[in-house]
Amino acid sequence: MNEITRLRRARPDCGELSVDREALFAAIIAQPTDRSAPPAPVRRRRGRRRKLVLAVALALLVVLTAGTALAVTGVIGWHDDTRIISDPVEWQKLYRDAQSKLTMPPGVKWPARTLPANSVTSPLQPGGQAVDISQVAWECYWADAIKRGDASAGRRARAALTDIARHHILVAPEGTSENTAPDGQIDGPVAIYADDGGFEHFTKMIADAAAGDPATLIQSCRANGPVE
Amino acid sequence: MTTHRTPPASADARFRHIFCHLDAIARYAARRGSRDPEGIAAETMTIAWRKLPAVPADDPRPWLFMTARHLLMAERRRGGRQAPLDPEVLEGVAAPPVESGDPEVTAALMELSPNDREALVLIAWDDLTPAQAAASLGIRPVAFRVRLLRARRRFGRALEARASAAERARLLEMESA
Repeated sequence: MNEITRLRRARPDCGELSVDREALFAAIIAQPTDRSAPPAPVRRRRGRRRKLVLAVALALLVVLTAGTALAVTGVIGWHDDTRIISDPVEWQKLYRDAQSKLTMPPGVKWPARTLPANSVTSPLQPGGQAVDISQVAWECYWADAIKRGDASAGRRARAALTDIARHHILVAPEGTSENTAPDGQIDGPVAIYADDGGFEHFTKMIADAAAGDPATLIQSCRANGPVE
Repeated sequence: MTTHRTPPASADARFRHIFCHLDAIARYAARRGSRDPEGIAAETMTIAWRKLPAVPADDPRPWLFMTARHLLMAERRRGGRQAPLDPEVLEGVAAPPVESGDPEVTAALMELSPNDREALVLIAWDDLTPAQAAASLGIRPVAFRVRLLRARRRFGRALEARASAAERARLLEMESA
């Protein structure tokens, strides 16, 4: 059962409304309406030219980045990973090892993380968490570079995020379990994405920002960062 | 001469279409700990009627949820709580309640940030689509999808960690028995 299904099943019962709906409806429509209210916004179709530019940029990026990750996904096999770690010291060693194979923006330090007490996790999880942290840090660095008009910093952030997309994200095949892991030895830390479009969102975010539309990048930083 | 954007004859019928979401709005308010969910729902509908031309005719739910969310914030401010003024910070104010029908789910939800909880609950409990949920939060659909994806991952990990801890506790209990 996936997490959304479980959450749906846990939906609290709010009971029935005690209000008299028809009486309420009548009371409301007896009131005057505000004729000066602005009309509902109409969804505007963006220009075809902009769509075309975005599509080309996205296609290029997919060729350069997503293709690699998806190709890896297609080539390697997957299995249920039953290995666990429960020792925070071991967890932190894996987290430090992952840091040595990832980068952080200038001036940003790796946050302290550990395995909570009485917890177990997969040996891939510390590396995956480090990938997430590095990714968000670079997103925020890029967003800040755009605000400052620092093109050089922007290029550096784009290169770092592209590297993450190429080498540190794997997309598990549809239908695999939550404990899925790639067969064989993986070189470097990886975050394993479900095959639900998240990776495509990530690569599109990079493409959009590179094409001059950083809205998703900024929103992602706002929602997930900054790294403390 | 004043031009009516919505002819009076069709306004009632159009509002009837909006009014059918009364229960959903009341449940939304109740799940977020409102002291008066029916009052929030009624006030939301009253505002919808007053501003009928501004309510999207094809899909009024995001507009209604956003209005209800603002009313919830106002209710909390009236309740004497310290309310942040920054609209971005306010995103997390209408966080879902801590109670669900499953204690493990409740505990896992409470480990998440308010924004993550809200993203998950809008989809799982309020039955909004990602596009509707994004509109109700005033953010772009792509941004919401990213937030939802990450919230799902964090929620999944929190559930998994709790399940593993419970299993270990059970095994320890069996060993010591």
